[in-house]
Amino acid sequence: MAQRHAQIDSIIRVVTPENIAFEYRLAGPFRRLPALIIDWVICAAAFFVFMIVVSFTIGLLSGGLAVAIFVVASFVIQWFYGGLFETFMNGQTPGKRLTGIRVLTTEGQPINGMQAIMRNLFRGADLFPGLPCLGLIVMTLNNRSQRLGDLVSGTIVVVEQNSWLTGVARLEDPRAIQLAGYLPPNFIVSRPLARALATYVERRRFFSPLRRREVAKHLGEPLLRQFGLPADTSYDLLLCALYYRTFIADRGEDEKRLAEATAAAAQVNPFSQPFAQVQMEYKPPPLPQEQMVTIPQSPTRQF
Amino acid sequence: MKVVELLERRRQNWQELERYCDRISLSSLNTAEISRFSALYRAACADLALSNSYQLPENTVQYLHKLVGRAHNQLYRAKRFDLKAWGKMLLEEVPQRIFNDRCVQLMFVFFWGFFILSAWLAYSKTAWPEFAEEMIPPQMLEQMQQNFREPIDGRDGDTNLQMAAFYIRNNTGIGLQCFVWGLLVIPGLYITAKNAVWLGAAFGYMARPDVPQGENFFHFVRAHGPFELTAIVLAAGAGLRLGMAWIMPGQLSRGASLQKNGAEMMPVMCAAMLMFLFAAIIEGFLSPSAAPLWVKSAVCLISSGLIGFYFVVLGFPRRLLNAAR
Repeated sequence: MAQRHAQIDSIIRVVTPENIAFEYRLAGPFRRLPALIIDWVICAAAFFVFMIVVSFTIGLLSGGLAVAIFVVASFVIQWFYGGLFETFMNGQTPGKRLTGIRVLTTEGQPINGMQAIMRNLFRGADLFPGLPCLGLIVMTLNNRSQRLGDLVSGTIVVVEQNSWLTGVARLEDPRAIQLAGYLPPNFIVSRPLARALATYVERRRFFSPLRRREVAKHLGEPLLRQFGLPADTSYDLLLCALYYRTFIADRGEDEKRLAEATAAAAQVNPFSQPFAQVQMEYKPPPLPQEQMVTIPQSPTRQF
Repeated sequence: MKVVELLERRRQNWQELERYCDRISLSSLNTAEISRFSALYRAACADLALSNSYQLPENTVQYLHKLVGRAHNQLYRAKRFDLKAWGKMLLEEVPQRIFNDRCVQLMFVFFWGFFILSAWLAYSKTAWPEFAEEMIPPQMLEQMQQNFREPIDGRDGDTNLQMAAFYIRNNTGIGLQCFVWGLLVIPGLYITAKNAVWLGAAFGYMARPDVPQGENFFHFVRAHGPFELTAIVLAAGAGLRLGMAWIMPGQLSRGASLQKNGAEMMPVMCAAMLMFLFAAIIEGFLSPSAAPLWVKSAVCLISSGLIGFYFVVLGFPRRLLNAAR
């Protein structure tokens, strides 16, 4: 991940006991505020339900005990709700769980009980009545989005999200597979080139064909010269072919796939397939070299 | 080996690890599942470490970062409360810190200074007439006079419970506010001064010879007085220490100084909260009860002795704790 170091980004790196480094994204104020509001709503609702339950069970026995329990419960909820949940739910309160964020120490380790309670106590200073957005101001001045409570207890809040495993891009165009057969076999794809190919091919479906050509031109032109392919081969197709050869092709299946691709290419009808149709808008007249590399449709004439 | 093959082989394991992560609490797994989970996690870590040499595509690497992050958080969980460590901290470290701490000493002088000044002003009718009426809101003054009109003769248990809970919330809330606002220094000083002046005015007013409720008032407050007044000085002192931490960080950076002092002062605040709890229980149950005066005075003396023992005897710097000045 050499290209990530220079970015100005809300990403924090963590080195774990397994001696790998992975990255967390920090949660800024606009992710944390909904979590806080949800927490307040849950507090109010839970306390309301608790009040009803207690007044109907213990209240019938002794009114004073019920009132005492309410008052102590309201105190505990007001000051210790966040702290207790973050201790026992591994750094999350219900509001944080719903918005997908979690509290960790600044080194990425899980927090202990004292840190959890302290950071929630100091929300009283962050929401200081004389200057209610003090916490917000402190968060924006801090490069790890910490408010006063986080600064005192040495914690950060990170986003914990799932993401989908998409794997390798699928290449539908059979001509790319065909073209892959004509790339020189002794060409070794270096790592930066492989990364660039992967980045291009996985995103190319969002581009228009003109844009694809424009982007692929930077790599495609020198590669075409190096491989000795005809100069009007589509750059996009060349990069797809190289991607196929680097990431997908497997020697055992190569012949089988090439045969399939040939058959598919032979049946391609330019008026029914949108992909080929779009590719058709620039069609140069076939040069003699190009005619030589295509697989002959009819048997050669015999003299 | 090509990337597609590699992804096919590893995909099942990654998805299995994801399924384990989705289960809410890992404590519901049995031992075989836990060791399977840790083996899968180690394998995913190895995959991430080698992602560069495998030439994995960028979005797969992103996926692995997030997967490893989630699994890491599930495997290394938050530490719970450790009672023995807390007991040791409360009985050994906290007294020694308090004994040497300049901020607590400063707050002691600050609080008691305002208290005595305010009490004297409320007591003497010439220096500032109507001082008590200005400092204490009139309906609260009336309520105090109402409460202490008759001699203390015991209350029903229900009211005792209610009032004990009320004192827990009220007093501990004030103490926590002093602590938390102390980080911002000026608000902390303001609220401590306000409470000191309020309490002093009440005491001074009740001490006046022409106020008939004074006798009952002092009868009431003597039992829980030491705990409560000590607790509020402790809370304010801890807060001021945190405020000084970022103003005068000494050799550390401001963030590091805040963290260090926060970790040191939190046990002090916990000791203060315990004292508030004791004071509230005594104030709720013993003070309004019909027990004779000598019992309440005895409780007052015992609690003062305990507090003195805690601070002076336990706090005397046996191990030379380097409390910051």
